[in-house]
Amino acid sequence: MRKNNLDEMQEKKLLSIEHNGMWLAFWGLVAAIMIQTCLGADFKQLAGEWVILMVLSIYTLIACIKNGIWDRRLKPNLKTNTLMSLLAGLAVFVIFGIEFHLNNQHGLVLPTAAFIGISTFLLCLAALQFTSYLYKKRKELLEQACDK
Amino acid sequence: MKNLKLKSARARLDMSQEQLAEAVGVTRQTIGMIEAGKFNPSLQLCIALCKVLGKTLNDIFWEEES
Repeated sequence: MRKNNLDEMQEKKLLSIEHNGMWLAFWGLVAAIMIQTCLGADFKQLAGEWVILMVLSIYTLIACIKNGIWDRRLKPNLKTNTLMSLLAGLAVFVIFGIEFHLNNQHGLVLPTAAFIGISTFLLCLAALQFTSYLYKKRKELLEQACDK
Repeated sequence: MKNLKLKSARARLDMSQEQLAEAVGVTRQTIGMIEAGKFNPSLQLCIALCKVLGKTLNDIFWEEES
């Protein structure tokens, strides 16, 4: 392997640049998917963005849990997970509400969007509860390994 | 906070930032940033700097409470 041309200060700066680039790509993809969904694009049209977003998210999730990291500010508890799931459900409700409204599906806009929003809330809460359980188990294991 | 102790130890040996950087294997920019207090070096780099300057970690990096 080639020798690293960067010293530790430059390495730290580059990591910070790469960190900002990663989050820019993440939220850019989320925004692109949300806008395309609002405009009535079907799944085929946003499959590329969706696959990249999923790969990025799953890699980040696995790497964080493997290293016993949850979040800088949020705690992995039921209250925070419920709040975050509510926000996700609300965002999905609004996006699909707009999409159905723009596509002139007036009669079923609210109930259908509400159903999708509630389903998203429940799925997010289950996923967050499960991953926070995995995080706690992994953190415990890492702490035990440190004690040995 | 500026690291004036590092700057004065380097000046006492009549070394430029460039020479010190080369001796410890970093860039001149990094030495400048440490002296300006804008970058916290790793313990490994602190030790390398102290060895080159003939000082202890306390001499260069310990801040007395005022």
